[in-house]
This record gives sequence, C-alpha cells and structure tokens, in this order.
Amino acid sequence: MGAEVITVSTDTKYVQLAWQREEKMLKDVKYPMGSDPSGKLSKLFGVYDEEKGLDLRGTFIISPAGIILNAEVNFYNMGRNIEELMRKFKANLHMSKKTHEVCPSKWKEEGDQTLSPTPQMAGKVHEALEKK
Amino acid sequence: MNETCCRELKVGQVVPEFKIEAYDPLKGDFREISSESLKASGKWIILFFFPAAFTFV
Repeated sequence: MGAEVITVSTDTKYVQLAWQREEKMLKDVKYPMGSDPSGKLSKLFGVYDEEKGLDLRGTFIISPAGIILNAEVNFYNMGRNIEELMRKFKANLHMSKKTHEVCPSKWKEEGDQTLSPTPQMAGKVHEALEKK
Repeated sequence: MNETCCRELKVGQVVPEFKIEAYDPLKGDFREISSESLKASGKWIILFFFPAAFTFV
C-alpha cells in the first residue's frame, strides 16, 4: 500500500503485546501498536478524552514531509470505513505527483477524472465534470 | 514532544516532534517510534487512534 500504519491507544506497550497475542483476529497484524499512556500525543491530535483517559477513533494521513493532510475523528461507537481511508490516501498520492490537480468528491481511484482549476472553471465545475 | 502538548494540530500543519513506545508484532519486540524516524523513512503515515486494547469495533 505504500504507507506505514501506526495504531495508538493509551494502553501500555505490554497491553498492546498481550492483546495482539491473545486476540486471534489480530494474529496477522504487521503494523506497530503505539502506546500513549500519558495521552500527550493523543492530546496533540485532539483525540484524547480527558474524562475516560481514552482515545477517540481518530485517523490522520500524514505526508512524507510530516504534513497532516486528512483528519477524521469518530466517537467510540462508530468503526471506520477503510475503503474511504484508502480513497483519501490514493487521492493524496495522486495529488502529490500532480500538484496542479484537485480531486472531486466522487474520485475513487487512479484514472478517475480530476480537475485542474482555472479562472474559466469558476462557476462552471458542473460543466467541467461533464466534459469527460 | 516539547511544549506543544496543549495546542491541537490542524490539517495542513506539520506534526511536531514526538516519541512514543510501541509493540511491533513483526519483530515480536518493543520499539520506539519518533517523528524523526518517521520522517527519515520517507513514507506516508496513517495514524490510527483507538480507545483501548481488548475492545470491539
């Protein structure tokens, strides 16, 4: 996939280890499981729940230069859609190579139509999207 | 992580220095993850926060 996935919770690294070894659903996990018991990193990203001492379900895509390009935070009771995460990741990859292009909301994968904004396109996005 | 603890990051900002410990299932060992080592890897990063180990979603 070309990205390094890192999970983070406020558990200690020992708990991460125990969970990964115990839970059969996690037996193929290859990404590092980060430990943030002080909540420092979680606070930085705005996902730390002070009352519970737990992290909300925050997902952040960070470029190789260290810039945060996407942020999504779900409450405890909602899981994340990995397809949407992958869509955003692929769109970021595309735009990092073609910096004059922007990805419309319906862009799904390489080959789908993008837009290259021009003054003429202002107010005519519908027509620009119809063209192809 | 220096003095940045209370200022929340926004999209478009650069992630400041940080350092956390991690369990790495590939190696079956603990290791440190730092902003420095991530930058040096030259990779895209997907940071995935979750409430707690042994939970369900």
